[in-house]
Amino acid sequence: MEASVQEKTKGFTRRAAEELSLRRGEPDWVRELRLKAWDTYEEIPMPKRTDEEWRRTDIRRIPIDDVVPFTELRDKVSSRDKLPTGALSVAASETVDSGLNVQIDSSTVFSSVEDSVTQQGVIFTDLATAIEKYPELIQQYFQKAVPADDNKFAALNAAFWSGGTFLYVPKGVEIEVPFRNIVHNATPGASIFAHTLIVAEEEANVALIDHWNSAEGEELSLACNVVEVHAAEAAQVRYIQLQDWGRNMWSFCTQKALCDQDAQVNSLNVALGAKFSRSNITGMLNGAGSLVEMLGIYFADENQHIDHLTRQEHVSPYATSDLLIKGALKDRSRTVYSGLIKVHPHAQRTDAYQSNRNLVLSRNARADTIPNLEIGANDVRCTHGATVSQVEEEYIFYLMSRGINRTEAAKLIVDGFFDEVIERVPIEEVQEFVREAIARKIGL
Amino acid sequence: MSEAPLFQVENLHAGIEGEEILKGVDLTINRGEIHALMGPNGSGKSTLAYIVAGHPNYEVFEGRVLYKGENVLELGADERAQLGMFLAFQYPTTIPGVSMANFLRLAVNSVKGEDDGEGGKKRIAPREFRKMLREKMQMLNIDESFATRYLNEGFSGGEKKRAEILQMAMLEPEFCIMDETDSGLDIDALRTVSEGVNKLYNDNMAMLLITHYQRLLNHIKPQFVHVMLEGQIVQSGGPELAEELEAKGYDWLKETASV
Repeated sequence: MEASVQEKTKGFTRRAAEELSLRRGEPDWVRELRLKAWDTYEEIPMPKRTDEEWRRTDIRRIPIDDVVPFTELRDKVSSRDKLPTGALSVAASETVDSGLNVQIDSSTVFSSVEDSVTQQGVIFTDLATAIEKYPELIQQYFQKAVPADDNKFAALNAAFWSGGTFLYVPKGVEIEVPFRNIVHNATPGASIFAHTLIVAEEEANVALIDHWNSAEGEELSLACNVVEVHAAEAAQVRYIQLQDWGRNMWSFCTQKALCDQDAQVNSLNVALGAKFSRSNITGMLNGAGSLVEMLGIYFADENQHIDHLTRQEHVSPYATSDLLIKGALKDRSRTVYSGLIKVHPHAQRTDAYQSNRNLVLSRNARADTIPNLEIGANDVRCTHGATVSQVEEEYIFYLMSRGINRTEAAKLIVDGFFDEVIERVPIEEVQEFVREAIARKIGL
Repeated sequence: MSEAPLFQVENLHAGIEGEEILKGVDLTINRGEIHALMGPNGSGKSTLAYIVAGHPNYEVFEGRVLYKGENVLELGADERAQLGMFLAFQYPTTIPGVSMANFLRLAVNSVKGEDDGEGGKKRIAPREFRKMLREKMQMLNIDESFATRYLNEGFSGGEKKRAEILQMAMLEPEFCIMDETDSGLDIDALRTVSEGVNKLYNDNMAMLLITHYQRLLNHIKPQFVHVMLEGQIVQSGGPELAEELEAKGYDWLKETASV
């Protein structure tokens, strides 16, 4: 592989987007999409504190001019056990999946899928391969849920995406064992532009676990990811995102699920890592009788800033959305949650819940939570609730009176706090991952 | 030299938010003894229980609480429990999301796990723990579904008290304070709970029963009865004292005490 000066140039330019496309040998239409997205990116101003959606989150120190937009293509890895240790920790041989895709920095280095799954017409591969082999599908779905003009960072992703994952499940196919995608930042100072695209056709049923992590490093990295989920009529999709970036990461993510009639999308977003993390998560209830479950867990410590912006948008009647996002904070961390339930005039008989609960473990941590309703129909049931509370000293005392030390007691209480969310995700390895992460965060 | 008494309170002055509630309490309890501490509401009985257990909101102004001859007032609530002290709460706390089994496993490991020589504790083998839990639950007539429920959440009054006794059974303490364990129990629940306590009790232990009714003492028989009024123990005697209180109330003692 030839080293390139261009690839080592920091900051984002139209030229860099074009260069990326040329180096990857992309078809013209893909390159045009990138360049158009770049123009969109330039048209959208950088968010400021005066913007309603950014009032409590300051991104003036975003390292956007300090990271390289993409890194050289890496060699493919021939088998799971040859994956680098950081990625390997989750792809350990004992875990089971229907397919595994591994992206390191800007390159997909490993991609495998079970034969039994392929035989049923399921596609699971990186985006470049998908563009080459299934251009019609990509043209039909890529950047349709999250178009470039969704927001500044979605536009940047549209211009600079690399690696990426495409999961397509044909009509009526049900795959029980989850697919797994790992995105690993191995080079501090590099950027990550992952793009996960899931398409489930009518009555299909599938689950994907997205796992994001980093090698240790000081130099700031930038992740600017997009997740798109299309659930066709009566399809069921479970999407799990385990964000465990290193502390040198500034992470942005735009995630949107589109549900047709009677479709169901269950998502869990776990935010643990990154110095800064902002996730925009949207559930679009486009079809009557559709259901969206949006679960979330975040645990901030040290000087982390974790921000979630959610939207449950009821376009059609008889749909249900159920959001439960719980967060814990310690040290000097800050979290922001703001969520909107929007009910369109025709979306009668909407059932919408939105709940954000925060448990503050330190005096210097601060959680802001802002729930919102915007209801255009008259026959709906919408409830929302937001709380910020401290650990009850009475709980601690009770547990300590049974011989449990203060730290263990706090862990038990925090575990209990998150359990309401965890138990709603019936995948054991995910439950285990979250519980272990909580233990780590508490300091055990 | 003879062994120190299992539990001793010496000239204890203590209270909450600067207010003195206990005004010089002395009490000695030896192994193999069951004591009852009786008295009207607000006399300071529960305050004594909380102070002995190490509740952080209470302050000690003067005096000592000795367990096996060691002053425990400087120790955390967890350390006291690890030494073998136990308080069955009058109002057990509900903790959402914490399952009974997880809680008990952690508690048993904290109290009974062996020292690993590195400042930590060796865990009890999971199988051994489950076996022990099953046995104790059977003994206390507690349904197995208890283990998977959240700590005290949605428990009836009787279930909460039985859960307290289950904790006592699992931790096998040497000294127990039962704070109003009879309150809120109907007669059947009271029988189950006291039968459980009687099965757990042995001569190597001691217990302090806090109550203001005779009825618990019909099931668990103390050898010594003390009456607390306004933060002091004003009268001590044998079981007949409890019967006398049942018949006469506390007023006659108030008059005696104020003389």
